[in-house]
Amino acid sequence: MTYQERKTLIDIISSVLIFGIYGFIVYQRYLNGAVDTTDVFVFWSRFILILIPITIVAKIITVIIFTIMNSIVTEVTGGEEDDVNLVDERDKLIDLKTVRNSMVFFSLGFVLALASQLVGFSNHAFFIIIVVFGLMGDLFGGASKIWYYRRGV
Amino acid sequence: MKKLIINNNVRTLRFMHDEMSQKDLAEKVGVSRQTIVAIEKGKYSPSLELCFKMARAFNKTVDEIFYVEESE
Repeated sequence: MTYQERKTLIDIISSVLIFGIYGFIVYQRYLNGAVDTTDVFVFWSRFILILIPITIVAKIITVIIFTIMNSIVTEVTGGEEDDVNLVDERDKLIDLKTVRNSMVFFSLGFVLALASQLVGFSNHAFFIIIVVFGLMGDLFGGASKIWYYRRGV
Repeated sequence: MKKLIINNNVRTLRFMHDEMSQKDLAEKVGVSRQTIVAIEKGKYSPSLELCFKMARAFNKTVDEIFYVEESE
């Protein structure tokens, strides 16, 4: 497995862990989604606006730990170390395709969220669909990135 | 319409240049070693700019490094 593939895999795992832990904490605090319906927009605004900085900080810490661990493992195993800071045209092309895939997935979620309102689902469902598809889009993008690195572009 | 498959002689040319390593070639043309690996395996078609850089590194023309095959 190459450096980029390892890094992407760690990114996927960290996304799931961060979202899982944060979602669990919020769920525990607002037991079973029993939130006052008048506060739906405030609740979800707070949920998303707190999740963003937490995700950024957690991912920075994850990248630092991963880079250190990767250097140690490469040195111990005597493997050939690649220039981890170099981003070339192939990396940029794969990044573009990955972002496209994530956005397509997220857009699908947004349309589904709108459709959920048409068929009479609650406002909570609207935000849950958006947040879940945001996470799934991130995971789908990561998985497609590994696919592109392995199968070629 | 026939599909064009782009192949290359990078591995052979590295061999003919004192068994130049993938890492050395990557450093000469400014890409990662993984990109050279992908090009050699035919998993990535480089940009025209990178093709010319590789041609300069091997002191060859672009069509001496890359060639096209047609498939049904």
